[in-house]
Amino acid sequence: MIEVVDFSKVYRLGKKQRSELKTQDKTKKAVDHISFKAHDGEIFGLLGPNGAGKTTTLRTLSTLIKPTKGTLIVQGIDVTKDEKEVRRKIGFLTNELKLDKHFTPAYTVEYFGQLHGMKKEMIKKRRQELFDYFDITEFQQKKIAELSTGMIQKLSLVVSLIHDPEVVIFDEPTNGLDIITAKAVTDYLQHLKASGKLIIISTHIMNVAEKLCDRIGIIIEGKLVAKGHIEEICAELEASNLEDAFFKLYQTHHTDVMKGAI
Amino acid sequence: MLLVVIKKELLRVFTDRRLVFSAFILPALSIFILYSLMGRMIGNMAESIDEHVPLVKVANAPESFKTHIEAEAVQVEYIDSTVMDTTKVEILEGDTELFIVFPDIFEANIEAYEVATKPDVDLFYNPSKEYSQSAKNLLEYTILPEYEETLLTERFGGIAAFTAFTINQENQEAKIVEAGKEVGFGLSFMMPMLLNIMLFAGAMGIGIDVIAGEKERGTMATMLLTPVNRETIAMGKVLSLGIVAVISALCTFGAIIASLPNAANLLAAGNEVSLAGLAFSPMDYIMLLVILIVQVGIFVGLICLISVIAKSVKEAGTYISPIYILVMISAFATVFTSGDVKMFNYFIPVLGNVFAIKELLLRELSYMEFGVTVGISITLILILLKFITLAFNNEKIMLN
Repeated sequence: MIEVVDFSKVYRLGKKQRSELKTQDKTKKAVDHISFKAHDGEIFGLLGPNGAGKTTTLRTLSTLIKPTKGTLIVQGIDVTKDEKEVRRKIGFLTNELKLDKHFTPAYTVEYFGQLHGMKKEMIKKRRQELFDYFDITEFQQKKIAELSTGMIQKLSLVVSLIHDPEVVIFDEPTNGLDIITAKAVTDYLQHLKASGKLIIISTHIMNVAEKLCDRIGIIIEGKLVAKGHIEEICAELEASNLEDAFFKLYQTHHTDVMKGAI
Repeated sequence: MLLVVIKKELLRVFTDRRLVFSAFILPALSIFILYSLMGRMIGNMAESIDEHVPLVKVANAPESFKTHIEAEAVQVEYIDSTVMDTTKVEILEGDTELFIVFPDIFEANIEAYEVATKPDVDLFYNPSKEYSQSAKNLLEYTILPEYEETLLTERFGGIAAFTAFTINQENQEAKIVEAGKEVGFGLSFMMPMLLNIMLFAGAMGIGIDVIAGEKERGTMATMLLTPVNRETIAMGKVLSLGIVAVISALCTFGAIIASLPNAANLLAAGNEVSLAGLAFSPMDYIMLLVILIVQVGIFVGLICLISVIAKSVKEAGTYISPIYILVMISAFATVFTSGDVKMFNYFIPVLGNVFAIKELLLRELSYMEFGVTVGISITLILILLKFITLAFNNEKIMLN
């Protein structure tokens, strides 16, 4: 289970960032006191526009960054207390994470398996299962540089899953993928869910959320403005679908000058 | 886990032909070609000067001089002193190597030595021309002193009575030096400088790519998501880079050794140097190895720290350049210093190691000096490692 309680994240802004954001503020609150729970055997989605705080939340859950305030518990472990143990339990994938293109898929997966403390035999077995599932086997001895974008995305997925994590965290799982690769990824997420894993994803694509997620949390400007089953949220807001519900929430909670245009 | 990280880093370097070529083959090949070529060219130049028969023009030459110089390996033309200006132009243009002007009444003055003023012989030469400079040296220090000796012999019927003593005419053991130390003296001029510059350059090329490159390409964050300590990742990078830097330096060192037959004069700044004379004790080799390892540790630590802090390979390169200049200045210190190395020098990181290598080659490095420079270096390496680890734990630095 993942439990996020009163989580906030504040970034210090450098001169360059202040200039880019056109602000005089020396800090930016990326996430503002959010709380939610996600359970084993479900897919929980964080939905929101770009810059809403989804990636910051997932990065904090995966221990890449530290929370400014609040508590984040992954499978009973506080992310600030035992980072190593949290990393053992999670598989995190985002487009920002890349693989060294000089190596082969076989070596890359073996290397990350070793870093996760897996035995060689276990790595071999697990790698073969995943390579077979994602049709990577025949390319496993080629250099990553020679693979297609879709194949590299699938390989990244394998790298994040090699240690058979209890919790799978995906930041925009289908972003930039071709339709076939995207289908393979979403199918595998369903497969993981069926095997009792907890999956938490972030997305700004309503279709993905509707199709994949059991429950969602909608983040706008760092605040969690709604959470629960999609049907419950739609019913509460008297919206015909998730997109309609999202824009109603957006209109209410967005503070930008563009608000009136929606 | 440390070994897994080191293995991956080394695999990254040694399976990449481009990196292998740029880190090991190219520097060694460049050094070998450059030093062999320069050494050969300097040798050829010296040979050419030795073989060249200089053209010497002489005005007012006395008969005794004409007789004396006949046996010498110089081409002589006797001219009238009225064409002095033309001859000077020839010297300027390199057509004539030397112009000697004897006074009009040279022989008369020699004969009337008790009452007459000593005649003064004028030599005109062009110091910017090697042949002219060499001809001047030959005449000034060899031929004319011998001619003077002939005149004095004629004057006094022999000059033995005017010589109080000779120097090292029969002494075959003039050089009192420990075995191999003379060779070390030659090597101590350039070797510490070359070794330090090579070690830093070897680490710099790959070091930037190993950390700043990984950050820029986004492959570092993938590593940070594994349950490996950041300290282990940092240490793995530093150690693997150290290994690469040492191998790179060894390749270049090998190239220097291979080029020694041609480049001995160039490397030893005119002093004697040959491999046959190198006879260091096992302890000397161990001390040299330890000094090189700690020096590499400092270089790699500095390069890694800068690479971690930098946001891109380009930025890291910009930050490292001033440090490279400082390393070069420290390295050159051995070439331009003489006399005993003061103890305080060994307390200065990098510089202390450069002096230690020099003193080791001279067989004059004490255990105390060795201990100080190694101790200071290890302290600095530990400080750098601490900072690198802190940087690895800093989300703002690691995730830009």
